[in-house]
Amino acid sequence: MEDIYNTDLITQHTTNFYTRKTKKVFVQEKRGEQKLKSISVLVPFEKVQSSLSEIGFLLDDTVTIVADGKFWTKMLYSRDNETISVSEEIGDVYPKDPIITICGSKMTISKVVKSIGG
Amino acid sequence: MPLYECNEHQFVENIRRLLESKEKFLVNRKMTLHDDAKYGPATMPDYEFKRYEIICTRKSVNSTVYAKVPFIDTFHHNRMYEEGENLHSSSALRFPRMSVPYYRVEYSVNVWGGTYFFPFDALFNPEVVIEKKKNGKRFGKEGVLIHVLRYNPPEERVLAINLPKEVMVFDVKQMVRVIDHSSNF
Repeated sequence: MEDIYNTDLITQHTTNFYTRKTKKVFVQEKRGEQKLKSISVLVPFEKVQSSLSEIGFLLDDTVTIVADGKFWTKMLYSRDNETISVSEEIGDVYPKDPIITICGSKMTISKVVKSIGG
Repeated sequence: MPLYECNEHQFVENIRRLLESKEKFLVNRKMTLHDDAKYGPATMPDYEFKRYEIICTRKSVNSTVYAKVPFIDTFHHNRMYEEGENLHSSSALRFPRMSVPYYRVEYSVNVWGGTYFFPFDALFNPEVVIEKKKNGKRFGKEGVLIHVLRYNPPEERVLAINLPKEVMVFDVKQMVRVIDHSSNF
């Protein structure tokens, strides 16, 4: 009887130890985990820009690209290891729907989607 | 093998779907420099043309572009343009005399026998400065101040589609040929 009790105790301790350790690692992975999301919404670029600066994203670089036979300005915003690119068609075109590509945490994605009314 | 063209939004969303499905895949990227007179100052939208306004002028999009001042294009072996010179004629829009270099970027992913790709061209950034040029018959020993046009390549980080770390991106030069094993069966 005594042996069984002791074995159970050891198992219990060991299980607890592993559970805690696994949880810790899992939380750490979750924190650094990056998700991907692209949004194309009918929102003025100014609103997108102000939403991004509100959550701490700064303009890093811009480039003029040609895709689908149209000219676009592609802007790269970054914050730590998270990046957001915003591609907006150049000129007075309608409808204007910037393409927002987010590579960042789940929280960042939901914040951006919420702020631009997606 | 079917080839499907996507725009940026579609391509990224397709990658996201593949990631969520835990499907194994590889993204290929092809980046090549071109200077084939595909882009000239006449066909640029006003926003982009403004970057060239120190050295050239035009009435509107697709109008003939003329040099406003004499300038040197360092990218094209220090080619000299005279004041008033026709740089891009409205009657020959496909053949500009002043060509803008660019990177052709192609992202592609192969899944279930199909290739999904997103291609785009990234124009080089113009930079106009005034420099003192010496030597040669034109400038003499004393040298003269002249406008100089430089083309700076865009940074790689702004051309890249930022993908999560678990997505592997392979740089390729060209897909040479597709080996179709289906005929063996």
